[in-house]
Amino acid sequence: MTRFKGRSAIVRAGMLAVGFATAAYMADRSPAYADDVTPERLLNADKEAGNWLHHHKNFSATRFSSLNEINGGNVKNLKVAWTMHLGGVEGGGIWSHGGLEGTPIVENGFMYVTDGWGSVYKIDTHGGHGDLLWKMDPKTDHDWAGAVACCGVDNRGVALWGNLVISHTLDGRLIATNKDTGQVAWQRTVADPNKGEVITGAPLIVKDMAITGVAGAEYGIRGWIAATDLKTQKEVWRTFTIPGKDEAGSETWKDDKNAAASGGGSTWVTGTYDPTTNTLLWGVGNPGPDWDNAYRPGDNLYTDSSLALDADTGKIKWHYQHTPNDPYDYDSVAENVMVDVQGTNGPQKLALEADRNGFAYAIDRTTGRFVWGLPFVKKVTWTKGIDPESGKPLEYDSKKQVQTYNTEVTPSREHKVADICPGNMGGKNWPPTAYNPELKLWYIPVIESCNRVTVEEATQDKIKPREFFTGGGPSQPFKITGSVTAIDVTTGKIAGKAELPFPNLGGILATPDLVFSGQPSGEVIAFDGKSLQKLWEFNTGGGVNAPPMSFSVDGKQYIAILVGLGGAWDKWFIDSTPELKKMQPGSTLYVFSL
Amino acid sequence: MVGAIAALLYPGTAYCQSTPDPTDPGKGVFKRANCMGCHKWHGHGGGGYGGDALSLRKTELTREQIIETVRCGRPGTGMPFFERGAYDSIKCYDMNRQDAGGTMPPEANVFLRTKDVEEVADYVIMHIKGKAEPSFAECISFFSETSRVCDVYKKAEQPPSSAPDTAKPQ
Repeated sequence: MTRFKGRSAIVRAGMLAVGFATAAYMADRSPAYADDVTPERLLNADKEAGNWLHHHKNFSATRFSSLNEINGGNVKNLKVAWTMHLGGVEGGGIWSHGGLEGTPIVENGFMYVTDGWGSVYKIDTHGGHGDLLWKMDPKTDHDWAGAVACCGVDNRGVALWGNLVISHTLDGRLIATNKDTGQVAWQRTVADPNKGEVITGAPLIVKDMAITGVAGAEYGIRGWIAATDLKTQKEVWRTFTIPGKDEAGSETWKDDKNAAASGGGSTWVTGTYDPTTNTLLWGVGNPGPDWDNAYRPGDNLYTDSSLALDADTGKIKWHYQHTPNDPYDYDSVAENVMVDVQGTNGPQKLALEADRNGFAYAIDRTTGRFVWGLPFVKKVTWTKGIDPESGKPLEYDSKKQVQTYNTEVTPSREHKVADICPGNMGGKNWPPTAYNPELKLWYIPVIESCNRVTVEEATQDKIKPREFFTGGGPSQPFKITGSVTAIDVTTGKIAGKAELPFPNLGGILATPDLVFSGQPSGEVIAFDGKSLQKLWEFNTGGGVNAPPMSFSVDGKQYIAILVGLGGAWDKWFIDSTPELKKMQPGSTLYVFSL
Repeated sequence: MVGAIAALLYPGTAYCQSTPDPTDPGKGVFKRANCMGCHKWHGHGGGGYGGDALSLRKTELTREQIIETVRCGRPGTGMPFFERGAYDSIKCYDMNRQDAGGTMPPEANVFLRTKDVEEVADYVIMHIKGKAEPSFAECISFFSETSRVCDVYKKAEQPPSSAPDTAKPQ
């Protein structure tokens, strides 16, 4: 921890070693500024309109701010209020630089953001400017973690509990930092980079637990979701996303090679929580190896699924699988947005998920039953559609051990080079959707894409710790664009699409009559919430790879967004957007106001 | 730290008397030019999101061919060219940019001087080409012992020690 004094940012000599941090006490900010974040406050996060207490704003992940000082009538006057340069841009492992994918958390005018290597910054936003109070640098082991981070040096932000800031590091730790002093209170190792496991997602706080998801399905991991008791710092439960031998679902791994042990199923996007049923909803990623599905015959549960878990025990209540025996890398890691609407047959308690396979799904979140689904991208080729009753791809055959879907375009051992739409980054990747409960519109940040997959037959001897185990790889012969696509949740139909020149790599914020999003070419954009007409735009000069959020302080509304292109795109996918090659690495916080 | 400072202040100490590896500059180029970004530190390359970077351990290229590949890249693949002016003022594989057309390899993030290219080729020949599976000693020599990146090779070669920082549910 390095603590800074007021606006002069004087660093007092660090004397108190905490093993990995240098501490210095400054008495200029009284702890009286801070309020403990209780489970009750987290349950009622939306009642604190000016705060943004959860990664996804609330347990339902609507990312809807009810603040309306900035609105359709005046958004054209939105200006930069202040900016702050952050760090963490350095490279490590296979990465030449880090990037910013985090959502700022704001409580009572104090903002907490992370950079890609997991440093946490506390910023005082009072008085119309940003004032860095402290920085906690976890000294992440760059080469160790960066060598097994498939898709960038990423950290999507923090959570708050009590008087602690709870964060993750790429090298597998859960860290609790004193909110007032910036000193690390404790840390616990949750994931192991020696097995190819890293952590990029923000923690979700439920009651007195921090829920952690893991990344690494490209390195032969067996995925899991873990809960840590923040009072005792012990693990409460860990649920593997691939069933163990003789557990329910293990029969969906029909090979004789123990493919399940390296079967993937990452959980690297923060999930949601329904307090009325004490249920966590969490998305599960692709099976491994990604593209050689003949290596792992069977449906490969619970990969590419939405999972409902008992929050106290981690026991699986139900699952819904989107792409059985996936040969495309179509993760279902996306957040499941919890929405209650009046359907044609009565009230519906839905979980909405925009899947990498290009389809948006509404699932009954009480039973796990499919309600409706539709493609939200302009082009889908891997299937002719989904069954209106079950939601399964029309070509899915439960008797088949290896699914081929639309055989003509599906990568396989027989068809080693295949062009798929959406491309393997998916119709939507990790960038979060937003839901406007007044307009009943759900906004999806879309990657309108196709790409080429080349299959390489996987064999057991290719499974090595910390080495890619993907059964092939993608290339980018096609131009990729993007959009913001709105779905009317009462009808399950597309309500509008704002086309964008580049893929949407940052996600969405909804306010009563506006939608905010960004572009990797630098623009932050405000759209009309109904028509999706562009109302305002500002070019930050850096690639936007993070979601916008809104908060208020001193009675004034602000829009904040981290800017700095990182993630997978500029290493693995840049050939599909050659214009973005000019974007420079960076690490800056932008804050806008009227 | 004290030892390191002493070594800087007193260059005649034993600390600095070990014979330097003549390919150390090439290792520096391998890191600086981010060869490891695709071929990995051990040169095995392999699949993954980047497609398939060829294995430098299994390569049959000669020193001259490696130098040419670094200078000119590999047309039609993701292997970039590292020589300033390649395919413009300097022809590669007897091609300029127009001749290469759609197979034009990408331009590297850094350009290397002739000496750099020779040094990195010497490093590949000496430390990577023809080698079997990467070892702990090799990893430590690449990264030093400041990172845990090599632990996995140590574990593979030795019985597991009771390292306190491995991830275990508590």
